[in-house]
Amino acid sequence: MQQESMAREGQSGKAKTTARFRQGSAIRQLWETNLEVFQRDKMALFGLFIFAVFAVVAILAPQIAPNDPLNPLKNNEGDWIKDAMPYWLAEPGEDEAEGYTNTFLLGTTNIGRDIFSQLIHGSRSALLVGFSAAAAVAVIGTVIGLLAGYYGGWVDTILMRAADVAFGIPFIPFIIVISAFFDPSIWNVVIAMALLLWRDTGRVIRSQVLVIKEQAFVSAAHVSGASDLRIIFVYIAPSILPLSFLYGSFAIAWAILTEASVSFLGFSDPETISWGYMLQDAFNSLALSREAFYWIVPPGLCIMLTVMAGFFIGRGYEEVLFPRLRRM
Amino acid sequence: MTILSIRDLSVNYATQDGTVQAVDGVSLDLEEGQRLGLIGESGCGKTTLLKAIVQVLPRNGRIAGGKILFKGMDLLQLPAAEMRQLRWREIATIPQASMDSLNPVQRVGSQLTKLLRVRGGYSKKAALKRAADLFDLVGLDTERLSHYPHEFSGGMKQRAVIAMALALEPSLLIADEPVTALDVIVQHQILEVLRELEQELNLTVMLITHDISVVAQVCDSVSVMYAGRIVEQAAAEPFFSSPAHPYSLGLQQAFPNLARPRDVLVSIEGYPPDLREPPSGCRFAERCPFVQDACHDIDPKLEAIGDSRAAACLRSNEMDVLRVQSEDPSLWQRVEVAQGLAPTLDPSPKMREGLFASPAEAQRVHAPLAPLWGKEPGDGGGDVLVQLQNVSKRFKIGGGLAGLLRGDKEQTVYAVNNISFSLRRGESLGLAGESGCGKSTTGKLLVKLIDASDGEIIFDGADLAAMDDDSLLAFRSRVQLMFQNPFEALNPRFTLYRSLTEPLVIHGWKDENKRLDRVIETLDRVNLRPAEVFLDKYPHQLSGGQLQRVVLARALVLHPDFLVADEPVSMLDVSVRAGILNTTRRLARELGLATVYISHDLSLLQYTCDRIAIMYLGEIVEIGPSNQVINNPQHPYTKALIAAVPVPDPTIENPPLRIQEGVPRPTEQFIGCPFAQRCPDAMEACLTVRPPLITDENEHRAQCHLYGEHRDSPKLKRQLP
Amino acid sequence: MNRGVVYYILGRFLQSVMVLWIIVTLLFLLFRLAPSNPLASYIDTTFTKQQEAALLARFGLDKPLGEQYIIYLFNLLKLDLGETFSYSGKSVMDILRADLPNTIYLTLSSLLLAYLVGVLGGIAMAALRGSLLERVGTTFTLMTRAAPQFWVGMLLLTFFAFQLKLLPSSGIGPPMVRYRWETEWDKLMSPVFWRHMILPTFTLALYLHGLPLLLMRSNMLEVLDQDYVTMSRLAGYSEWRVMIQTAARNAMLPVLTALTLGIGYSIGGNVVIEHVFSWPGLGRTLVRAVQQADYPLAQGAFFFIALIIVFMNFIADILYSLLDPRVGATAQAQVS
Repeated sequence: MQQESMAREGQSGKAKTTARFRQGSAIRQLWETNLEVFQRDKMALFGLFIFAVFAVVAILAPQIAPNDPLNPLKNNEGDWIKDAMPYWLAEPGEDEAEGYTNTFLLGTTNIGRDIFSQLIHGSRSALLVGFSAAAAVAVIGTVIGLLAGYYGGWVDTILMRAADVAFGIPFIPFIIVISAFFDPSIWNVVIAMALLLWRDTGRVIRSQVLVIKEQAFVSAAHVSGASDLRIIFVYIAPSILPLSFLYGSFAIAWAILTEASVSFLGFSDPETISWGYMLQDAFNSLALSREAFYWIVPPGLCIMLTVMAGFFIGRGYEEVLFPRLRRM
Repeated sequence: MTILSIRDLSVNYATQDGTVQAVDGVSLDLEEGQRLGLIGESGCGKTTLLKAIVQVLPRNGRIAGGKILFKGMDLLQLPAAEMRQLRWREIATIPQASMDSLNPVQRVGSQLTKLLRVRGGYSKKAALKRAADLFDLVGLDTERLSHYPHEFSGGMKQRAVIAMALALEPSLLIADEPVTALDVIVQHQILEVLRELEQELNLTVMLITHDISVVAQVCDSVSVMYAGRIVEQAAAEPFFSSPAHPYSLGLQQAFPNLARPRDVLVSIEGYPPDLREPPSGCRFAERCPFVQDACHDIDPKLEAIGDSRAAACLRSNEMDVLRVQSEDPSLWQRVEVAQGLAPTLDPSPKMREGLFASPAEAQRVHAPLAPLWGKEPGDGGGDVLVQLQNVSKRFKIGGGLAGLLRGDKEQTVYAVNNISFSLRRGESLGLAGESGCGKSTTGKLLVKLIDASDGEIIFDGADLAAMDDDSLLAFRSRVQLMFQNPFEALNPRFTLYRSLTEPLVIHGWKDENKRLDRVIETLDRVNLRPAEVFLDKYPHQLSGGQLQRVVLARALVLHPDFLVADEPVSMLDVSVRAGILNTTRRLARELGLATVYISHDLSLLQYTCDRIAIMYLGEIVEIGPSNQVINNPQHPYTKALIAAVPVPDPTIENPPLRIQEGVPRPTEQFIGCPFAQRCPDAMEACLTVRPPLITDENEHRAQCHLYGEHRDSPKLKRQLP
Repeated sequence: MNRGVVYYILGRFLQSVMVLWIIVTLLFLLFRLAPSNPLASYIDTTFTKQQEAALLARFGLDKPLGEQYIIYLFNLLKLDLGETFSYSGKSVMDILRADLPNTIYLTLSSLLLAYLVGVLGGIAMAALRGSLLERVGTTFTLMTRAAPQFWVGMLLLTFFAFQLKLLPSSGIGPPMVRYRWETEWDKLMSPVFWRHMILPTFTLALYLHGLPLLLMRSNMLEVLDQDYVTMSRLAGYSEWRVMIQTAARNAMLPVLTALTLGIGYSIGGNVVIEHVFSWPGLGRTLVRAVQQADYPLAQGAFFFIALIIVFMNFIADILYSLLDPRVGATAQAQVS
């Protein structure tokens, strides 16, 4: 039956065939792998959806947020509206007595800033840090892994010793020190991550390159006279790029978590609202002892959701790349 | 007493695309002391049958019907716990890939004693004693009990697994491909161990294999499986002398046989049917050269055709006539030719620019080829194309900055040692030897995947070591390599068109239409027709045989002058091997290609090559015309290799081997003969004096003291196995 | 132990020393070349030139960079990390020596808990592969890994310490009791200390259990596919023996390495948890030192954490080569 259909296809003209097989390019293959990840794994698709939602929120933050996240809100008498409960929790009439109208979805902070607006604006730094750090980590790790694996010898030795050093440097303390030395900025976290976290990606990519390099189809390319660059970019890179995406997705998650931790410890720019900063604010202003769950829970949930989105996508890649681990 | 009796057994696998009937109505009897060989190509249901008997089917497998009676008990009705008790105590299994069947982080001895104690109820002391006895029995040093699996060679692991299988004195031993992937000499020794044990312990054995020569050596009866069914059952001798099913006929004719070489091997073209929707008629009909109209409609039953013989073929009564007809290879190639018109080309440069031949020439191409090996070198067989002069390749391991840090001492591996030979245009040379003898390294040197440490390799007048970028690129267009594993030889992310067109792109073919024409022409030439169908396929969509043809096509797409084929068929099923070899051989002749075949299989080299070189520890110990080397071997190593090749004929018993398994690691250079350590004929001179190169009038050379001035040197005393 | 393994260990040790040396050098450069003057926050406008110079001299900051580096290296060899800026008169070592045990107690107790749960959970997840329970279990584990540790800590604090008032909210003991413990032994014997340890340990373990669980699960799935596992099924071993004695035993090896590595990285990564629970450990001291620009203390704490990480990385390598005979063998083959 298969042969029959083959024969039928064979009769169709040459022009048509050329059009079809030309598409077998590396980029299309890569695209198909990516597509496969999201088609096969609904959780990965869900992760993508979460990112998409937060991205929209981040872009439209000024439009969505009802108030300025940094400026304290004031009541009729010009005092800060401190520690207002969310309107759905507050006792009715309390706001009028204090001289303001409670429309705060998540209440206000101890100096009267709107928590909901802060939450909306927090998505900006989370996504910015997450994606730029992940891109930096994936790119640096991939390039280093490719070079070390393909060229071997002293290139490999130097790069892998550098990775050993990076593995010996404690991550969070390093970021704290970097953040303290330079002017507070979310880019500190990105730079520090790029400087250290390439180590895992680099090692994994390198070992993968070592495997692919020895495969017969690469030797065949050598024998056909392909140059080093051609072999790296046409033969090896497309096979390892999905792996870079895998590590990139996980790096998004780590970056968001790390940024939150650093902000929580108080090393972030106080002019930029982030979820970690909000939690620090809550922690320092003793929101815990007041059991202000409406202040504590939402930023943490947002961090968790975005981090999980990164995990889901990373696991989607894992399942396609390492079918053995498949959940069946 | 009947040990095992299978009645009408059917096993299904549920897959995404439907139910596969992997085993379909199989009946089989095994008497006490019988040694049954179960033969068939991969995917015909052999291993599924084994898994059904011991009931370790994968989750998606289901026994759809039938009975398995073991000593009268119906195994399918047995509770799981009782079945578990039966395993190993009554039915022991040597699984496929048994090399990996030992736990890598546990000492082999403790794996064995654990088995004896947990499953056999031995006391600690008795288990240790029994383990030592078992190691003795299979020919392993008892000191090895305290070693880890990675310290064992492949053959030793296989022996250890056999020891484990025999530990609890099972009534039935099932061995799945017990010698596949082992070197010939090791293979021979394992078979010898099996044969001895069978006699000593009066074992009942079921041996599953694709290799009929293994069956010929070890079994007394044969069942042939095809597409989930048993198509023939017979005692070994009548099976080999007069097979009664066309499939059995084909299998036998597809096998190269050192004792009775053939001009052309038979290839059973095509592939087994899709078992999700098996054909309603005979399952072999598609591939059968004797097919009649009725075969497509009537499903033949396994019927007795004489004394304890049975075959499932509508024409089994005509078998005596068919058997004679089947000797004609063109009969089997009918299928191949019918698929399209075989092109052919004159080896002249003008014709090589890619013209299709006339249909009439197709017949000429498929006529049996006259053997070339009678040709005297230098009598117009073409000028010298490749010449190696004292070539060596050394690798350094350890050392370097990392090694220095780790305290590793630098070591030299002498992979290829001072070899010289030359190859003429159109000539084919086989490189043979056990693994680790340097034959693959030589192959890589020839195509300049690696560079020689010493010596010169001259290709068409140019020294490989002194090439600039331009001449290297030109060299790359003229020399190609064909790989062992077709599943790895093609980029899994490329369509076949992309893979095939890569060499053309690299060598500056700008015009896409010209590239397409060349690719189609080449695919056509390797019998992948219609070529257009294959262009947009990915490697995983093709079978191994088809893939290897694509690999061949890629090697030929630039019309090279020189092809190195490294184990080109060792990963393929026997039934399609001959097809690849025949195509390669034909194309090499048509294109005037010089070819080097690298293989551990001497019978295959005898079939394909004009000359054969035998390598040992990086040196060529013997080289000469194929028939000379095979029929009149001079070097003791060559003799041992030839003696180790199993013959697919139960009436010819392999001579006992006189050497031990295990190629040492080539980390030292020898003053004398590298083979002296293992040589049964070693003399004192062999250890200290370089053996002389002896040449006879046929350019048949051997490097051995047995024929030189030291032939009377006193023999070394040593214990032989 | 054979020669190959000894060489391997020696080589690895040398490598670790070199890695540490490079880290120490980077650390030196980082702190000396920082944009701001290391003493900036302590020199106020009322200082005279002489006072300023005296202060610089006291911390050796008046010497040329090269000389400072040499002195710094020699001092490190003597484990002399200098004087702190902010705790007058105390040496960095004094402070770190008091912190280190607290960090180690927290790290070890939470790691043990996490790995116990993780390994067993991983085996269970592998055995339950494809079931609803597995999906729920792994999703929960992923959530614990995705939730910021300090946030989980805050929630637990709010609930258990403030709402239910079951457990203490910070530190290692009530302020009055803290200084009564004269030895570490007294501290470990004190129920008060253990009560303070519950919340941070649990929070940390909740986060840490994900790695061993997911690792164990995937190792199990891989090992269960191996031929030697099929072999032990064929040999008629009970399913329990196949799963635990053969598969889990082999799947454990990388998890044990991860545990060793985890000790190192947790000590560096506890920073956030120590901050939330005001746990007087290395991490909290580091954060405070950086906040107060106490450079010698920050540098010392950083060095200490890096030392522990490098050392544990070394131990992990050695452990693996001892546990898996194949690794030691490759090392040996390269020598003999």
